[in-house]
Amino acid sequence: MSVNEKFSALRKGLLEFVVLQIISAEKVYVADILNQLSGTEFATQEGTLYPLLSKMRRDGLLDYEWKESEAGPPRKYYALTAKGQEQLQETLDYWEKINGTVKQLGQK
Amino acid sequence: MNKVITINLGGNAYQLEEGGYDALRAYLETATTRLQANPDREEIISDIELAIGEKFRALLGSNKTVVVGKEVSAVLAEMGTIEADSGEATRAGAVSASAAGGTGASSTGGAATDRPPGSSPKPKRFYRIREGDMIAGVCNGLAVYLNIDPTFVRLAFVFLAMVWGTGVIVYIVMAIVVPEATSPEEKAAASGNPSTAQEFIRRAKEGYYEAMKGFPDRQARREWKRRFKREMRAHADQWRFNWHGWGPINTPVHPGMGFALPFLSLLQGMAKILGICALISLLATGAVFGKALPANVPVWVAALLLLIAYGIIAGPLKIARRACYYGMGRPGWSWPFVFLMDAIVWAAVVAILLSLALVYFPELSDAVKSIPSLIHQAAGDIRSWWK
Repeated sequence: MSVNEKFSALRKGLLEFVVLQIISAEKVYVADILNQLSGTEFATQEGTLYPLLSKMRRDGLLDYEWKESEAGPPRKYYALTAKGQEQLQETLDYWEKINGTVKQLGQK
Repeated sequence: MNKVITINLGGNAYQLEEGGYDALRAYLETATTRLQANPDREEIISDIELAIGEKFRALLGSNKTVVVGKEVSAVLAEMGTIEADSGEATRAGAVSASAAGGTGASSTGGAATDRPPGSSPKPKRFYRIREGDMIAGVCNGLAVYLNIDPTFVRLAFVFLAMVWGTGVIVYIVMAIVVPEATSPEEKAAASGNPSTAQEFIRRAKEGYYEAMKGFPDRQARREWKRRFKREMRAHADQWRFNWHGWGPINTPVHPGMGFALPFLSLLQGMAKILGICALISLLATGAVFGKALPANVPVWVAALLLLIAYGIIAGPLKIARRACYYGMGRPGWSWPFVFLMDAIVWAAVVAILLSLALVYFPELSDAVKSIPSLIHQAAGDIRSWWK
C-alpha cells in the first residue's frame, strides 16, 4: 500500500479544512476552488465538492451569493461566515499542534 | 446520423446526442439516489446541472451546436461520482470507494452504467395520440408505444380487418378503452422518456426563481428573465418537434426548400381533397370516381383500402413537407414567410375548387347568387327587430 493510498482517508478529512482555507482568501466559485486544488494532493471533482459545500453551508461555515458572469448564467460565489472564520482559525491552530506533536515524538 | 435531444440545464438549452443524453440522465439519477438522505439534495443537483452546463458551453461554438456522446462521458468523468454526505458515513464500502474517486484517479465514466436497481426508466403507458392521427389515434399511440412507424401499425390493422373484420372490432374497442394522451405528463408517459424533460423544466424554473432573488438591480433581473423565457421557448419548440417528428430531424438547411414548400403544400392539399372526395363518393354512391366496386367487395373494405392508399400517397409528402418546414423554419425569420406561403397556397386551392364547383353544380352557383339578397333580407329583419 503506497503512502498515497494510505492517506486517502486523511486527505478526505482535510478537504473541508483546505476548502475553508481557499475561501477565506477571497470570494470564489466552484471552478476556482477546483483549479486551486488541481495539481495538489487534494485534487478533487465537482461530484465531491458540491455535497461538501452544501454540508458546510448547512453547518453555517459559509454562504454564497449569486453573481452574474460575463458568459452564461449566474454563478454561486462562496464566502466564509464568522463561524467559518472561527472554525478555520481553530483548525489551523490544531493542525499546528498536531504537526508539532508528529515532529516531536520520537526525538528524545 | 444521430438523434439529438435538447435539454435544459440551469435555464440554458443544450443539444445532446441521444447516447449522451442517456448517460447524463443516468448520471443525474444516480446522483439523486446517492443523495437520497441529503436535505440539500435538490440544490446540489441543480448546482451539478449548472456545472455540467458550463462545461458543455465551453465545448460549443458558433459552428458546433451539439454535444456528442463522447464529450458527455468526458464531462461526466470530469465531474466525478457524486458522493453521499461524508458526515453520515454509514456505508463504509461506499465511502472508501468514493475516497479513491476523490483523488481524481479512478474512472468515473462508469456512472452511466452503475445505475442502481429500482431507478430504471419510467414504464411506458399506452395512450391514444391525436397529433398526426387518422381516425382516433389508436395506431399512432401503439406505434409510439412500440417505437415503430405508425404506417406499419395501420397496415397491420388493415390486414387484420381483412380477416373477418377483426381489426375493425379491435380498433373500435381500443378507441373506447384506451385513454387519450392530453396532458404533457401523459404524452411523456406514452413515449417513455421525455418525462425527464418535464423534470428538467421544473428544476430550471426553480433555479430561475432562486437566481432572481440574488440579482441586485432591475436591469440584471430583466435581462435574466428575457433570456430565460427565450431559452424555455426554444426548449419547448424542440420538444414539440421531437414529439411530432417522425420525419428527419436534422435536415440541412437548403434554400430550395423555401420554394419547394408551397408546391408540397399544394400537392398535399390536393391529395387530401381528392381523398375526401373519393371517400364521399364511395360512401354515397358505392363507386369511386365513376368506377363501381367489384360485387364481392363490401364498402367498408373499400373505404379502408382508400384510406391506406391515401396514407401511402400522402405520407411521403407529409414527411418531405415537414423536413422543408423545419429545415428552413429553424432560423426564425422565415416563419412568417412560411405561414404566408402556406396560407396563399391554401387560399388558391379553395378558390379553384369553388370556381370548379360553381361551374359544375348550377344549384351551388344559384345559391351563391342568392347570398346577397339573403343578407339584405337578414339585415332588414334585424333592423325591424331592433326598432
